[in-house]
Amino acid sequence: MSASQINQGLDFLRDAFNEASKLWWRFFDWLAVVEWRQLALTWFLAFLVCVPLNMPELATWYLIASFGVKILAGGKRKAELLAKEATMQANVATLERRLMEAQMAALQAQVEPHFLFNTLALIGQLIETDPQEAARVHAHLIEYLRSTLPQMRARDGGTLGKQVELSKAYLSIMQARMKERLNVRFDVPVFLGSAPFPPMMLQTLIENAIKHGLEPKIAGGTVTVRAYVDGATLHVEVCDDGIGIDPHADDGIGLANIRERLQLLYGANAELVIHTPASGGACALIKLPYKMMETA
Amino acid sequence: MMNEGVLTAMIADDEAPMRDLLRARLAAVWPELRIVAEAANGVEAVELGQRHLPDIAFLDIRMPGLNGIEAARQLYRRSHIVFATAYDQYALDAFEQGALDYLLKPVTAERLATTCARLQAQLKARAKAPSPAQPDIGQQLAKLTSLLENRGQETPKTGYLRWIQAQVGASLRMVSTREVLFFQSDEKYTRVQTAGGEFLIRKTLKELAEELDPDEFWRIHRSTLVRVDAIGEVGRDLRGRHMLRLRGHPFELEVSRNHTYLFQQM
Repeated sequence: MSASQINQGLDFLRDAFNEASKLWWRFFDWLAVVEWRQLALTWFLAFLVCVPLNMPELATWYLIASFGVKILAGGKRKAELLAKEATMQANVATLERRLMEAQMAALQAQVEPHFLFNTLALIGQLIETDPQEAARVHAHLIEYLRSTLPQMRARDGGTLGKQVELSKAYLSIMQARMKERLNVRFDVPVFLGSAPFPPMMLQTLIENAIKHGLEPKIAGGTVTVRAYVDGATLHVEVCDDGIGIDPHADDGIGLANIRERLQLLYGANAELVIHTPASGGACALIKLPYKMMETA
Repeated sequence: MMNEGVLTAMIADDEAPMRDLLRARLAAVWPELRIVAEAANGVEAVELGQRHLPDIAFLDIRMPGLNGIEAARQLYRRSHIVFATAYDQYALDAFEQGALDYLLKPVTAERLATTCARLQAQLKARAKAPSPAQPDIGQQLAKLTSLLENRGQETPKTGYLRWIQAQVGASLRMVSTREVLFFQSDEKYTRVQTAGGEFLIRKTLKELAEELDPDEFWRIHRSTLVRVDAIGEVGRDLRGRHMLRLRGHPFELEVSRNHTYLFQQM
C-alpha cells in the first residue's frame, strides 16, 4: 500500500469518527433538554416497534441508557446549552455595539475641516463679489450641515432619496468652487427614493471621487451617480473620469468604514466593489438587498 | 521691471472665486500693483511665471498639476513668493519658521495691507541694491515639499502595495489589501481570496511578498501569504501538520515547517 492510500484510509476513518461523535453529541443534547413526558413517549414507541420484532432487549437498553444519561448528566448539559444561548445573545449585542461605533465613526469623520474652511472662505468672498451666489452656497452649506450632523438620528435619513439630496447640496458647493472643472450627472430613478440606504456612504464615495479623482486633474471632469435594481439587489454607483487609483495609496478610513458597516448590517448580502474602467477614472459600487421602503 | 517703478504680480489658485477675491483686495490696498497673469493650476503658474516674470507670485498651496510649493521652487529666483492657504496648519507652522510670506484665506483687507506694506519695503530695498540680495529659500521649499508629501495628503503614500488589480471583464477590479484574507500561488496564477470571493492575478507570490507591507501579510508557506489580522488559531491535524484557521472564515491553510516559528508564542 502506498503512502497516499494509507492517508486516504486514515482520512476516511477520521471522517467516520467525526460523524459518529457529532451524532452522539446531538443525541446527548437532545436528551438533556427533552421533557420527561416526551422521553417516556419515545420509550413507549420503542417498545411498540421492538416487541413485535421480537427484540425487547434493545428497547430496554435504550430505556436504561437514556434514563441514566438524563439523570446523571442532563442537568449540567442543559445549563451549558443555556449558557451558550446567552453567549450568542451577548454576541448579537456586541455586533450591535460595533455597528453603533462604526456609525458614530462615519458621522465624526464626515464634516472635514478643510471643506468647511474653504466653503466659508468662498461665502465670505462671494458676499462682496456676487451676493446672490453667496446666498445660494450658504443655503447649500446649511442644508448639508443639517443633514450631516443629526444624520444618524433623523428618521428619514436612511433612504436613498435623502442621501441623494444631501449629496446634491455637497456637489453644488463643490461646483461653486471648482466651476467648469466639475460636472455632475445623476441617474437615479424617482421610485428608488424611498429605498432604505445607510447614511454617509454615498457622500463618502462622492467626496473620494472629487478629492482623489478630479481635484488633482487639471482639466477636472464628471462625477456620475447611478442607481438601479438588478434582481433583488440595489446598485448604487459613483464614477469619475479623474486620474484613477494609485495602487500604493492607502484606501482610507472612509472605504474601510463603509465595508465594516455593510458587513454588520447585511453580512454577506452586501458589498463594496471598486473598479477602474478601461476608459480611465474610477468607479465605486455599493450592492445591497433592495427593499421598497423602510419596514417600521 | 522694477526700474520702471511699477511692480507686477501673478495670482495662482485653482478656484476662480479665490482669484477674484485676491484681485479685488489687491486693487483696494495696492492699486499701483499690476496683475499681469492669473493661473488656474500649478503647471500654468510655472508657465506664466516664466513668461511674465512677475515681481510677486501669489501661490495657492493645493493646486492640480503641481502644488504651490513645487511651483514656487521653479519661480522663487525671479519672483517673490507669497503662499495662500485656507487651512494647512502644518504648512503655516513651516512658513512661520522659515519666515516665508503667506496669506490666510479668505484674505482680509487688514492682513493683506500689512503683507503688501512689507513686500513694498523689501522690494524697494532690493531694487536699490544692484546685486540681488534675495534670501535663498530653495532649501526651505525642498523641505516643505517633503512635508507636504508626507502630511499634507489625506492618503499618505506608504510605499507598500495597497490595491490588488484583477482583470474582471473589460474593467480592472481594485481589491483593497484590507479585503484580502490570503494569497495562494496556483501554478500559473496567484489566487486572491476575499470574504466575498476569489480573483486570479498574474502577479507572482514573490512579487507580492516584496511589494506588500510585511506587517500586513505574513508568509506561512512557500505558496501562501496570509493577512495577519485574519489569523485565528493554529492547530495540528492528525498528520501532525500545522494548520492555520482564519477568524470568522471557513478556511484552513497549511503552515510549512520553516514558518511555524511565527506562531511559537501564540
